[in-house]
Amino acid sequence: MIEQRLSVASEAAQLPVLTRFLKEFWVAAALPPAESVKFELALEEVFMNVVMHGSPGAGTQVEVSVILCDGGLTLMVENEGPAFDPLLLPAPDVAASLEERKVGGLGVFLVRQMMDAVSYQRVAARNQLRMTKRLTAGVDSPRLAPSV
Amino acid sequence: MFEIQMGPAGEVVMAGRLDATQCDAALKFLNSVPKLQVIDLGRLEYIASTGLRVFLLTQKRLKGLGSELKLINACPQIHDIFRYAGFDQIIDISRASA
Repeated sequence: MIEQRLSVASEAAQLPVLTRFLKEFWVAAALPPAESVKFELALEEVFMNVVMHGSPGAGTQVEVSVILCDGGLTLMVENEGPAFDPLLLPAPDVAASLEERKVGGLGVFLVRQMMDAVSYQRVAARNQLRMTKRLTAGVDSPRLAPSV
Repeated sequence: MFEIQMGPAGEVVMAGRLDATQCDAALKFLNSVPKLQVIDLGRLEYIASTGLRVFLLTQKRLKGLGSELKLINACPQIHDIFRYAGFDQIIDISRASA
């Protein structure tokens, strides 16, 4: 298992820092490049949700963990603050006409599409969102070989 | 890193990552383009829901003017995200030819 953790301020300007963190993890663990965008998107959507809905004031931190285990990758996003479960947001109508189309809730909807499993937990006054997806191991990714 | 500029044939060219930090600038640019129609996504590497919103707002604005967007050269990952969101039903988007 490989795990890395980063804590950033809960503000939109930190998004590039998180993206870089994820990309560096990707390269270091020799993960398949084609799968990267799905995790980058999941991280952005969940982090931006925390920034918009979950931060009571300046100085709040958001902790992001990336955990690689048995060929699956888990992103965990945690923050202190009022309970906020983004998974309870109503699903958008992705078949609505242009006039009726809205973007609210689309982020979480996309995350559910991209990931195998998404779950929310309230742990000791913290919001914790976990997203997991199995990676398709390539021949050039020996570290992804299933553990015996 | 995100870039948006005019291409040689009057199209808008986007490149790099259209993430939440770039959307305001992208929308402002698109709002300033007269007779906007074609956007070349050939070098766009990444988009999330805030980026999709830029295209939704622009499409709504253009429809109000009797026109519409035409997105071209989307790479498979970008095209997939439009499709997952059902945006391929409301915006003309075509993939890059292989």
